[in-house]
Amino acid sequence: MNKIFLFACAALIVGCDTPASYKDPNGRELVVSLEKVNIQDFATAGSLMLQSMVNSPAFSKGAPVLQLGMITNDTANNFDTSLLLSKITNPLVNAGRVTLLDSDSIATAARSASGISSTNVPHAEYVLKGKILEDRANAGSTRQSSYVFQLSLVEVKRGVSVWQEEKIVTKQGSKNSIGF
Amino acid sequence: MKKLSLLLSLGLLTGCTSVIQTADRIERGLTPPDAVNYVTTRPDGGYTPQITDNRFGNKIELLAARKSKTDGGYTQVKWDLRNGSYLGQTANISFEWLAADGSVSERQDNWITTPLEPGAITTVTATALKPSSAECRLRIISR
Repeated sequence: MNKIFLFACAALIVGCDTPASYKDPNGRELVVSLEKVNIQDFATAGSLMLQSMVNSPAFSKGAPVLQLGMITNDTANNFDTSLLLSKITNPLVNAGRVTLLDSDSIATAARSASGISSTNVPHAEYVLKGKILEDRANAGSTRQSSYVFQLSLVEVKRGVSVWQEEKIVTKQGSKNSIGF
Repeated sequence: MKKLSLLLSLGLLTGCTSVIQTADRIERGLTPPDAVNYVTTRPDGGYTPQITDNRFGNKIELLAARKSKTDGGYTQVKWDLRNGSYLGQTANISFEWLAADGSVSERQDNWITTPLEPGAITTVTATALKPSSAECRLRIISR
């Protein structure tokens, strides 16, 4: 009887930890953190922003020439803002919906070395810029974190904003969890 | 004894919402994981639902799928969803776009969490990025 009890205790202790495993980065079993922006939050905000942006007049004809501007991270977390931008620019570039300027120094040097005139390089028609902010609140043991994603599209020629969008991702709970 | 029963009743009344939510969680815990449901638009303007999770299908109604073209000529579908239950529901939504030959031309891989208040109608808009994308397939799961 004692042996069985010991065995059951041992099994319980061994079973306490979850071994690491691979998960679909777009799946439903991802860790949801209250104190940081998760990878799925960037995907959510990026997808919503993308859907809103393609409906703006700037995208009604042709492939506008786009230059990426500054995306300010105004949260307490340290992350690369390209996590958000890539969710927007990758589908647009791959679908041929924008001409994205990339002032890569190696490409610029190679162009100069081969004697190609820089007049062939298109000029930016629009600049995409934005900001990521956070707001935290709690009631008792319940914590709430909101991450605000703001983007705007500025027309270079007139210096006016032709599209603006704000998406908020809010998470609430007393501890981090898995899945939605 | 009377005081105790009064206190208990009061406790039950204040905790009503959480009791229902707990029951909902237990129901979900006892049943298989939420399955993916699909609704695909058709060239004739209609749509074909493929409901695999009836528990969710009974709570969320699809009122309409309005297909149109944007100024640039890209297909756009507006899906009207209604939460027909007395509890708040969370729908997780994503899209796939199909070309005229039925192949997947583009897809939004991640799920967008969409909270639906009881009785509320929510419109979800999907706009294609490629001109070849003709039909939209809505993918929807709960929680």
